[in-house]
Amino acid sequence: MSAVLEITEIRKSFSTGFIPRRKDILKGISLSVGEGEIYGYLGPNGAGKTTTIKCVLGLIFPNAGKIMLFGRDHLDRRAKENLGFLPENPYFYDYLTGREFLDFYGQLFSIPRSERAAATSRLLKLVDMDRAADLPLRKYSRGMLQRIGLAQALINSPALVILDEPLGGLDPLGRKEIRDLILRLRDEGKTVFLSSHILQDIEMICDRVAIIVSGRILSQGRLSDLVSETVLFTEITVSGVAESDLAALGESLSTQAGRTLLKVCDEPNIEAVLALVRAQNGKVHSLIPRTRTLEDIFVDMVKPQ
Amino acid sequence: MSLKTRIDRIPRRKIPGSSIIYIPSGKYLKTATFGFSGVLADVIYIWAIQYYANTAIEDRYTHLTHVFSIISELDPAYVDPYVVGALIAVEDTRDIGLALKILDMGLAKNPGQWIFPLEAGHYAQLYLKDYALAKEYYKKTMGIPGAPPIARRLYAASAFKSNDLTTAWETWFEVFRTADDPQIRQIASNHLYEVKAALDAGLVRDAVTRFREKAGRNPAVLEELVRAGLLDRLPKDYDDGDYLYDPATGRIKTRVVPWKR
Amino acid sequence: MTVTVIARNTFKEAVRDRVLYLLLFFAAVSILFARVLALLTVGDRVKIIEDVGLASISFFGALMAILIGTGLVYKEIEKRTIYTLLAKPIRRHEFLLGKFLGLVLTLAVLLAAMSLIFLGLVLAHTGRIEWGLLVAVVMIFFELILITAVAILFSSFSTPILSSLFALAFYLIGHFSWSLETLLKKIPAGATRTILRFLYTLLPDLENFNLKAEVVHHLPIAGAQLLYSAAYGLVYAAFILGLAIVIFRRRDFI
Repeated sequence: MSAVLEITEIRKSFSTGFIPRRKDILKGISLSVGEGEIYGYLGPNGAGKTTTIKCVLGLIFPNAGKIMLFGRDHLDRRAKENLGFLPENPYFYDYLTGREFLDFYGQLFSIPRSERAAATSRLLKLVDMDRAADLPLRKYSRGMLQRIGLAQALINSPALVILDEPLGGLDPLGRKEIRDLILRLRDEGKTVFLSSHILQDIEMICDRVAIIVSGRILSQGRLSDLVSETVLFTEITVSGVAESDLAALGESLSTQAGRTLLKVCDEPNIEAVLALVRAQNGKVHSLIPRTRTLEDIFVDMVKPQ
Repeated sequence: MSLKTRIDRIPRRKIPGSSIIYIPSGKYLKTATFGFSGVLADVIYIWAIQYYANTAIEDRYTHLTHVFSIISELDPAYVDPYVVGALIAVEDTRDIGLALKILDMGLAKNPGQWIFPLEAGHYAQLYLKDYALAKEYYKKTMGIPGAPPIARRLYAASAFKSNDLTTAWETWFEVFRTADDPQIRQIASNHLYEVKAALDAGLVRDAVTRFREKAGRNPAVLEELVRAGLLDRLPKDYDDGDYLYDPATGRIKTRVVPWKR
Repeated sequence: MTVTVIARNTFKEAVRDRVLYLLLFFAAVSILFARVLALLTVGDRVKIIEDVGLASISFFGALMAILIGTGLVYKEIEKRTIYTLLAKPIRRHEFLLGKFLGLVLTLAVLLAAMSLIFLGLVLAHTGRIEWGLLVAVVMIFFELILITAVAILFSSFSTPILSSLFALAFYLIGHFSWSLETLLKKIPAGATRTILRFLYTLLPDLENFNLKAEVVHHLPIAGAQLLYSAAYGLVYAAFILGLAIVIFRRRDFI
């Protein structure tokens, strides 16, 4: 499987201020996105996610390194034919209506008129914007702009879709819709590259991830590999058991209305707790094994910086 | 509002020439107009018309030349300011020399505009009574293509009045020959009569003077001059009629008034 | 062609800009004001109307070119609409040229509208359609092409206010540089003169396009002058655009 997007050791620094001071943003980033996968690009704010994406798109020119799109140099015009991009906090032309806007971008791909009209209608329906299609974009709300932004990213049926913080500022329903859409894109055979700092969503849909902190990639690989299935501890909520008895088996996290939330490590201790409950005629309210989540990994990586 | 009307009624003393405290030199003004010199010329001209019509400003004529020279620098081909400027000079300040200077400037910058020497000729004739100068101006007018035919007649008339009888005769003859309008022909013929009468009067006067030197008296009749060999033949007027000779003065007079022929 | 796509969209953008209509309104008022002004003059009324009309067209045309042109590229960068645009298969120079052509097209339409009003007014006063006036308008159009190029140049790296000032400075210098020629004649040969001569050739000479006086006074205009002036305008504009493209090409959009 050839890499759809291949970034090799790119570096970027900016000189800002009246007395130019050099600030290194990207300190040697390399990653590879395979065909048909959903790739998550994580990092705290200011890590360099958007900068990396802009380098890929040719909006910023890296000081060193190489970027290949579909096996071509990323600045090659043909490479962009199969690309779709949605920026963070999208903003579009005030003076165009939604439909005109999509049509305009469609023209840039030399899509013939008949096809354009069909594609525009299809996409408007996909992002649920038919009703607002003929309103000028200046009247769109943030959520609506996000949707129409997604539509424009897909106008050319791209093989690779790059999304910069696509779930930012959306309500839970909106987030679910976007997540479903991204999964659908993968089903259609597209590759999706998205950056985010909301870990739960990444965890839900991504196949592979890279974690970038302060301009360096600290970790990358399959999500399933990074997040091991080892159980760290188990959280058990019980009632009707004497606290003193529980104290030896695990850490009491909270006691409320007669229920005790216990953090238990080691398998034998779980058995012991269950035995206690049966013996004292108590009740088990919940038993949740906690594995190492992405958040754990992330926090671990970011903390020392 | 009533306060405003009160204020307006209080007469403000005008500092002499206050409306033009500073007039820039015309030559370099053009550089500051950034391509809009034509409009600026128009605006200044319109302002000037209002300014010079304002009798409250007593010394408004001190910079007349300057104002109009600015306008001509900004738009040399704008005809009206020259003509009106000269008019103001003549009517209001009686400075005919200035008027002529303005019109000369107009002609210098616009050799194709016959109105300038024409007006100048009028002013020279009417106000300076300088018929020789008028003649020159009318001559210039004639030389410009498109000039009205009256220019030639005015030329001839002023030639006559400045005693350039040969030119007058030749010109009136040309007019007579080329006139389509019978009225113009009549006018030309009347003038020719007059010129001939003047020429003949001059001839007779000289002859009588020489006769008097020899004979000590004026001749009794014109034939005496012929017999004395001082005249080739008896002078006849343009219509081949006789002149009236007065032996007391030794001068001839026409029998008829030229205009009433 | 991508350039035409951008140009068409820019035209739409300009036409939906309310500033445009405001300026057009003022231009129309200004042209019709000529009628009022003409009443105050003694003598040739038509000259006043023609002068004021042409001056209005020239002035408001330049204002439109500067006000709209200086915002064109800047707005796209400021509002970040340029991100999604450049992510499409479009080269940066195509973007700039598209913006330029779109505005030129808009200006052409506007000039036509203003000319219509102007010729109508002249027609009402003289009973004739003075086609000769259009020669001056065409030259004004070439001047506007050059001003637009300059506005776009500054728009690609400077805020609208600064860009407007620079473009205005260009306009003023352009109408001033002819006087360098008179100055040149007075200075003796030497270093100063060579420098001044160099400056004179380099600086824009916008008076080339100023045929208002000739047209109003019905003076003959050599066809060669029209051709050379137009060519001068186009070549200079191409030079300015080239500069803009070079600056824009390797720019980082942070």
